[in-house]
This record gives sequence, C-alpha cells and structure tokens, in this order.
Amino acid sequence: MSAIHRLSLLGAVAFLAGCASVSPDGLRGDVAALTAGRTGGVQAALPAADPAARAQAQQSIQGWLAQPLTQDAAVRIALLNNPGLHARLAALGVADAERVQAITLPNPHLALGRFTNSQEREIERTLSFSLLDLVTLPWRTARQAERMQVATLQTAQEVVTLASDTRRAWLRAVAAEQVAAAHERMAEAAETGAELARRMARVGNWSRLQLAREQAVLHETRAQLARARLAAATEREQLSRRLGVWGLQAQYRLADQLPALPATALPADGIEATALRERLDVQAARRQLDTQAIRQGWSRVGAVFGDIGLAYTRNTTTERATGERDVKRGWELDLPLPLFDWGGAARTRAQAEVEQSAAQLQDTAVRARSEVRSAWRTYRTALDLARQQQGEVVPLRQFISDETTLRYNGMLASVWELLAEARASTQAVANAIEAQRDFWLAETDLQLALTGTSPGALQGLTSGAAATTTPQGH
Amino acid sequence: MNRRNFFSGAATAVAAASVSRVALAALPEPALQTSADTAPPLHPPTGRPYNPVVTLNGWTAPWRMNAGVKEFHLVAEPVVREVAPGFVVNMWGYNGQSPGPTIEVVEGDRVRIFVTNRLPEHTTIHWHGQRLPNGMDGVGGLNQPGIQPGKTFVYEFEARRPGTFMYHPHADEMVQMAMGMMGLWITHPNVGKGAAHPHIAKVQRDYAFLLNAFDVEPGSLTPKVNTMLDHNIWCFNSRVFPAISPLVARQGERVRIRVGNLTMTNHPIHLHGHEFEVTGTDGGPVPKSARWPEVTTDVAVGQMRQVDFIADEPGDWALHCHKSHHTMGAMGHSVPTMIGVDHRGLVGKIQKIVPDYMVMGERGMADMGAMEMPLPDNTFPMMTGTGPFGPLEMGGMFTTLKVRADQRAGDYRDPGDFKQPPGTQAYEWTGAPASTPRPARTDTPGTAPGAANARKPAASGHPH
Repeated sequence: MSAIHRLSLLGAVAFLAGCASVSPDGLRGDVAALTAGRTGGVQAALPAADPAARAQAQQSIQGWLAQPLTQDAAVRIALLNNPGLHARLAALGVADAERVQAITLPNPHLALGRFTNSQEREIERTLSFSLLDLVTLPWRTARQAERMQVATLQTAQEVVTLASDTRRAWLRAVAAEQVAAAHERMAEAAETGAELARRMARVGNWSRLQLAREQAVLHETRAQLARARLAAATEREQLSRRLGVWGLQAQYRLADQLPALPATALPADGIEATALRERLDVQAARRQLDTQAIRQGWSRVGAVFGDIGLAYTRNTTTERATGERDVKRGWELDLPLPLFDWGGAARTRAQAEVEQSAAQLQDTAVRARSEVRSAWRTYRTALDLARQQQGEVVPLRQFISDETTLRYNGMLASVWELLAEARASTQAVANAIEAQRDFWLAETDLQLALTGTSPGALQGLTSGAAATTTPQGH
Repeated sequence: MNRRNFFSGAATAVAAASVSRVALAALPEPALQTSADTAPPLHPPTGRPYNPVVTLNGWTAPWRMNAGVKEFHLVAEPVVREVAPGFVVNMWGYNGQSPGPTIEVVEGDRVRIFVTNRLPEHTTIHWHGQRLPNGMDGVGGLNQPGIQPGKTFVYEFEARRPGTFMYHPHADEMVQMAMGMMGLWITHPNVGKGAAHPHIAKVQRDYAFLLNAFDVEPGSLTPKVNTMLDHNIWCFNSRVFPAISPLVARQGERVRIRVGNLTMTNHPIHLHGHEFEVTGTDGGPVPKSARWPEVTTDVAVGQMRQVDFIADEPGDWALHCHKSHHTMGAMGHSVPTMIGVDHRGLVGKIQKIVPDYMVMGERGMADMGAMEMPLPDNTFPMMTGTGPFGPLEMGGMFTTLKVRADQRAGDYRDPGDFKQPPGTQAYEWTGAPASTPRPARTDTPGTAPGAANARKPAASGHPH
C-alpha cells in the first residue's frame, strides 16, 4: 500500500471526524443565541472570551452603575459580571474540549520490533488501530454534538434564570427602599404626635395614660421603621450579589420607583403551546431523547463487536549472511466472537435509556404546562390586586385623610386622629408599592415559565394587609 | 305659602287606591310650606276672632270651615328641612316642613283634623295636653290602630282648654320624633264676648316655638335616630342660630313666648335684659298668686312653658338655652383640650404630613368662630354668626329679642343691629394702669401652686 493510499485512508478518517474542532468562543455564541429574547426583552451580552472585549464590558458596567440603576441595566450587569455565570460558561468550554477529544480518532499504534537471531535480523512494523472507533464515528460524532447541545441548553437556562433572579432582586430592592421611605414618613407623624402628647401632659391637659398611648404608637412605628430599613439593606445585598459587585461598585443608586402597571394584561390563550415551543428545559429533554435514540442504533454494534481491531503489518526479515531481505506484508483483523455476550444487556440498557428520556420529556412538558398556567393565574391576580390597591384603596385613604382634615377644621376630630389617618394613608401607599412589586415578580415568573425554564417554586403573593394604626380612643 | 293639588303626583296614588274619590273630594286640600322662613301671623279669616301667634321659622295651618267645624289636613311625609342656609337635614314632618304647621283654634271650637300618612310606616298623632275623648288621644295600639301608609284618619274633638299645646306621633315615636315629627297647637281663650280671660293676659306679640334636637353625623344628611342624649344639632323649630328669626317688639309691648320641649333633655331658657313670669304651661294658665319673677325657666322634656313680660328695655337681647353646649353647632365631644399647649416647631412638621393643617385650640376655641375653615359637606359649624362687634361664636338654641322704640305695632320685620346710645357700651380702659398691680402668676400649668420642682409627667412609673 503506497503512502498515498495510506494518507488518503487517514484523510478519510480525518474527514469523518470533521467536526472535531474546539469552538473558538467556548460555545458562548450558541448560549447567547439561545438566550436571546428570553431575558425579559433586554439585549444582554454574555462575557466575551477575549480580554479586550472584557475591558470594554467593565467600562459599560461602570457607566450603568453611575446612573440610577434600572432593571434592564441590572440584568445586563449580572449577565456580564456574575462570577457564578462565568464559572458555568467556562465549564461549558471545558465540556466542548472534552467532546472534541472524545470524537477524535484514536491515534493508530505503530509497533516496531527488531528481532535478531543467528541467521537473520527481523524488523517488525505494525500499524494498527481500533476499527470500531472508525465504524461508529458518525454515530459518536452526532451523539457528542447532541450532548453538547444539551449542555449548551442547560447553560442557557442558567443564564435566563440568572436574568430572572436579577429582575426579582431589583424589584425587591427598589420596593423595599420605597417602603422604607414610607415608614420614615409614618415614623415622623408618630414622632410629632408623641411630642405634642408630651407637651399636652406637661401643661396638665392629658393624663400620663393618654401620653403613654401615643408613646406606644411611636415605639411601634419606630420598630416598623427599623425593620423596613433592614429589609431595604438586605434586598440590596441580594441584588449586589447577583450583579457580582462589591466595594465601591456596590455604592450604586437604585431607580426610585418600580415600572408602572401595564394597561392591558397578557391573555391566557396559547400560553401552554408557547411554553412547549420556547422553553429551554423542554428543548433539552427533547434533545436528550434524540441522543438516546441515536445511541440505541449503534449500541448493538458496539456491544457485539466490542473491540474490532485492524492492523497492517509489514515485517522485513533480512538474512544476515546473504543480506537478502524478505518482506512480509499483511492485514490482521481482530474481532471478539460473540459467544457469550450477544449485546442483549447493552441493547436493553439503551432501550431503557430511551424510555427514561421519553418519560423525562413527558414529565418536563407536563410540568411546563402546569407552571405556565399557574404563573399566569398568579400574574393576573397580582395585576388585579395591584390595580385595586393603587386605583381604589390609595385614593380612598387619601379621601379619608382629607375628610378627617375637614373634621379637624370643625373641631370634630383631634390632631392625633389626623396624624393617625396620615399614617394609615402612608401605609396604604406602602401596600400599593408592595402589590406593584408582587405583580412584577409574578410577571417575571410568567416570562420565565413561558420562554425560559422552570421558575422553581412559584412565588405566592405576599399579603400587603398591614394593620392600620387606630387613633387614640377617648 | 304654596298650595298643592292633593290629586297631583304619584304619592297620591296610594291614597286614591285606598280612599274612595268621594271621600277624598270631601277632604280639605292640605297646604304645603316650602320655606323655612317665619310666616306672618295668620289672622283668622273665619270663625271666632283671636290674636294669632308667630311661629318662629314656621307657619300656621289654614283651615276650612265646614258646617261650623274647623277642618285641617295634616300630611305626614318625609321632608328636607333647611336647618340653616347651606345645611339641610332629611327629616319627617308635616305638609312640607318640620315642625308641622301650628294649629290655632279658639276655646270651644269643634276641630276636625284629617291626617294622611305618606311615611313608609304607620303613624298616629297625639294631641299633647288636650282634653279629648280617649279614642282621639292618638296612642297607637292603646287608643287606635296605627294609620298605615297611604291611609287617612280623622280626629275630631272640641278644643276645651285654652293654652299652649303640641302634637307629635305616638307610634314608633322615638324614631318619628328623632326625625322631626312635631308641631304646635295653640288654643286661644274665647274672649270674643269682650271679657278678658282672668289668667290669660292680652299680648301684643305672641311667639311660639318647640325645642328639638337631632344627631346628624358631620357630612351626612339624616339624623341618627338611636342617639339618646349626645345630639349635635340643637334647634328652635328645627332651625339653628344664626338662621332662627329674631323676636321683635315695640318698646313697652307685652310679649308672650311659648316654648315646648320635645328633645331628650331639659333646656333652661334664658332671656337677657328683662324679667318674665311663667304664666302658663301645657297644663293651663298659672294663677297669678303662683307666679314669680324669673330670667330663666327650665323646660323639662315633654313640658311647655308660656312666659309673659313687658319688653321695656331697648336693645338686642339674647334669648337662648343656658346649656352652653346647646348653643353650639356640630362639635367633637371627644376632642382633647389644646389650651396652653406649645405648638412651636411642630406646625411645619404636621403640615409636611397634612398640608392643610392649622393650629387650633392652643389659645381656646374662639379661633373657630373667626376662621372660616373648610368643613365636611353639609356640616353646620360649631360656632358661627357675626354681629356688629364681631363673631358671636354660637350655633344652636340661640336667637335675639329685638326691642325698639320705633318698631311699629304688628311689624315683625328685623330692625337690624341696635344702635347703642353713646356712653352705654363697655369700653377699653386706656388710662393709667392700676397702682398696685397683682403679682404675676408664679405657678405654671401642670404644676401645683407652691410646688418647688414639680415632677414632669413622664411615661415611666415611679421608681419603687
């Protein structure tokens, strides 16, 4: 066999292993393509592989942090800067390298031997390689590609989950800051009432009992304020963790209000179909099933002919005395006889694995359907509740405050009743902010359940009904 | 005064369905009053002569003579009463107003009263203080069945006793009186033959009003009928100062004031500038030997008092209930006293929370009379009214007796503010201060006199 022939054989093998090259960006582009349109309508870049682009990204991050932080900017920063996501993307690069390694043909063995005896010297050259690898190469290539796609899909799910988590953290942080501001105002009203009560008692207009009641109100509101401030700080930390910022970068200013409620609600029709079409976890389960099915195809061959070896041997024997060379060429095929293992177990296993994957796809689909229905119901209720709180309850409370002012003017109500009503309407504003936050949290869950992946445990709605303080009884 | 065709309107359909047209045609047309002003005295066009009364912010019902019988027609119905300009109350009354029209008859008159019920529930009329047949006394269940909605009953009796009386329901009476159902009844002495009544003097001015009270939640229009004592609208004839007509008199005239009390508490009615005598009650004239001079007479619940006096002191004299809460408009009985409480440094803070806040009560409540702050809808202010020398700070059972030398007899028009002759008004002392000034107060509010360092009140208890 001429060298040309041999090269062409090797070339054919190399061609079969054609996709055996490492993705230059560690599959980040694929992940980005999968997550496009699944991060809540924001065009967010993933961390680039090359250092120049990374420096550029850091500059963008600085720019976003210098402004009051919007929800979209928070998502952008998190996707570029979250260390956990960096780790995941790097792992994907590692997996890609492993894939390439797995489908590269094993290097042929070259066995060289030099044997001498008294009459002759024998040079043995055996070029051998495993034939099975070659025979199964198309299957294996396809399978590895499928596996890589599954891994890419899983990483994409991590990305959209991080985007959603960042959205939620931003919503909670902004709402908590607004609620704390409302509590500042409530505490101020209570401080004023208590101070006036002290002055009432000082000149003998009030008993110490009446004073004590107003002071109790004051301490209650102070305690609520302390809790509200802690909540604001805690939620902010959660957001900073998602953003991957610390130190000076964590000094960012948050936007001072939540996005307004939408005028129209997303309709419920077609959401299940959308989820089955769009969701990455459903896609991953489907890929998994395809992979298993392909694998089942060659599992039989692999099992029966566990290790087919092909060797080409060229032995040269040189007569020591005469110098006459005798060349012995030959092919050697080495295959196991399927006497004991006809591959039944392997086939059964592959069959079972197909069934398992099919069942997992079914399970994922059923869960996706239910999650999207549940998420939509939560979303719709949250919208109604937020609209009611904002459109009905807050104006009502304001009206009650105004009417109490008129009664104060007529000396029909006391200044403490006035302050109590002011506290109650501020509480209503705080409840409205929380209801608005709950709506956007539910909306985030819905978007994730619709086009991304499983939101995990769906957020219930927190009850915004805080006890309103009652004015001092007389 | 308007008249209403009894056959018009859907409200009569019920009556028409239950009373035959022949019977209805026999009824005198009920007169309707749409104004809360004081009507001029009604001089009798028919029947025995008498000296008519003036019902404060009310009127006298016209009658029809039918074969020597004076026929009146009262319609019990829901009304909207203007208690003061800008303040109306959903009441139940008679013939368009609360109180109902005053019924004036003469001793010995045969009286027939048709009572049509346009209320949502049954009613009756009790003729308080009258001598009459038992079946005419109007106690539902005891003397008669209730007059059902849409029905008309007839009361008929002779006015046997001269004097001051009232009428009011005696069926679900707590509710119906809390809603304003009441009226005056005056039986004039029969002095047509020329002989004066031994105990009832002839007067030139004869004023009559009922005391009634309502509990109207500020910002609402309907009385709370279950309130027993804590009412907030205290009225003469369902009217409050400054909307109550003044009583006017020519200097030297003999004036009679008849007062009946249908509230839930007593009212010491006090007249400034004159002494009067109680010359009669709903029980009849008081013998002269039993009278004594007074400037205040207490009118207990369900009582009537008739006082006479000579209006010989010119001026604008207050006539009011001496319970100071009863000369107030709607007030918050639970609002704490703010007198002497330093508000410095807090006003801005409160205004930050309640933009329209203003300090009130730190110096007392007179600010309320002066400041015209916006109030809830349909709410009568606690104190109001302005006189020639500033705010009167009143708002309930208060009006004035205006005595003028130049007021013409029979002229009931308001003569305006009294011009006090020079040198007859209290004035500010502008001379030297007193030579031995009283030492300044050494104690401060909140401390006992003589206490060196009184402990400031604090929320903490005593250390034991």
